[in-house]
Amino acid sequence: MLKCRIIPILTFSGLALVKTKKFAGNARMVGNAVQAAKVFNSRNVDELAFLDIYASDQNRKINLQMVRSIINECFMPVAIGGGISTIKDIQDLLAIGADKVIIKSKIIKNPEFINEAANIFGNQCITLAIDAIKEGSDYFLYNRLGKTIPLVDFLNKIASFNFGEIILTSVNNDGMMSGFDIELVQLVEKLIKVPIVVSGGAGEPAHFKELFSKTNIEAVGAASIFYFTRYTSYDLKMAISSVGRPVRIINESFVPLN
Amino acid sequence: MKIAIIKYGMGNVSSVQKSLKKLGYDSIITDDHIEIRQADLIILPGVGSFQAGMENLQKSGLADFLTQEVVEKGKPFIGICLGMQLLATLGNEPCKCNGLGWIDGEVKKIKSKLRIPHLGWNNVQITDNKKDFYREFDNLDYYFIHSYHFVVRDSKDATLMVTYDFPMVAALQENNIYAMQFHPEKSQDAGMRLLKKIIDQYA
Repeated sequence: MLKCRIIPILTFSGLALVKTKKFAGNARMVGNAVQAAKVFNSRNVDELAFLDIYASDQNRKINLQMVRSIINECFMPVAIGGGISTIKDIQDLLAIGADKVIIKSKIIKNPEFINEAANIFGNQCITLAIDAIKEGSDYFLYNRLGKTIPLVDFLNKIASFNFGEIILTSVNNDGMMSGFDIELVQLVEKLIKVPIVVSGGAGEPAHFKELFSKTNIEAVGAASIFYFTRYTSYDLKMAISSVGRPVRIINESFVPLN
Repeated sequence: MKIAIIKYGMGNVSSVQKSLKKLGYDSIITDDHIEIRQADLIILPGVGSFQAGMENLQKSGLADFLTQEVVEKGKPFIGICLGMQLLATLGNEPCKCNGLGWIDGEVKKIKSKLRIPHLGWNNVQITDNKKDFYREFDNLDYYFIHSYHFVVRDSKDATLMVTYDFPMVAALQENNIYAMQFHPEKSQDAGMRLLKKIIDQYA
């Protein structure tokens, strides 16, 4: 059976690992990216995501040397995002060992880029970051490009494009540690037919129980819970397993002899 | 021993090399025929489309050369993900085209109501083939990411199966040719153990 994945999402400011609240600019510093990758690798997390969250705003490229150091610590799949706007950016990241790239700003400006990239690299490595912000009772696609885009319109428009996965983040719940936006997940899981990673709001194991019992998604992203609580991915897997969904538990470690 | 990881423009070769290094094996990433001939074992990784993969192998003359080394001369070989699919007689991504044809079968799109790609960790099951060798990997989780799957003509070629809606081939073996749909180099300890067991037979 396919297991539910838990994916730590490392957000990087250009200088250090940071954690935002509701995507606001005054992010809190939480440590060193390479160290964090090392710890998550030793805990056998299912996957890792790394996002340089201000790269597009600041119109700069991701630091490939640092990304390489992060990937070198990881023996699980790694997805990398931040400032990706050309085919060469994707090529550079895949060449140093990224398994997937995460794209956001570029596909808001030019959705066709999704297909262009998938035709070259295969759709399996093209992950879209979909950040949803709720205003009143309506969801919009969060962006810092000054555009007002209803979320459902955008998802309907890109649904037939050739990508392999989305990371769906609730901006309202980001960093608040008070639970996932279940209504948002239920809305999006009907519209998108590729795997969905849900993020924004994880604060305690009960939130994972709620998410995995009320929706059919198979993957979840989290950050604050790993920085600010005592819970590890193992605790969260136990919570997911308690509502009858399959998880991957590693009991023993294999140490190569040579 | 020396391992040649084939460079043909289809994705993630450095992760394979990183895993081999951790296991203590020397490897080179190369498309040079002389270097490949000198290697004791060949690994063909790869992600992306079947047709693009075949075109790249043919352009560089690697398709014929690898067939000579592996099928005719019997050099040990491991194909990973697209590197497994390319061994088939036929592929369909994006349209019908010939593969290397080392193992009889066709690579077809996964038809299912479940979410595609089949993406994430899934447990594999041993088959009746080469059971003794694969038994220790029975029920371990491996990392899969694919939208097409290898339909074998002779079920005796399948050594590990995986179920996502329906059973699919997770690994194949025919003599010196080993192949897996999942990514052992991304499957942490379970992947390392499998790679080590295969490679150590030839070390």
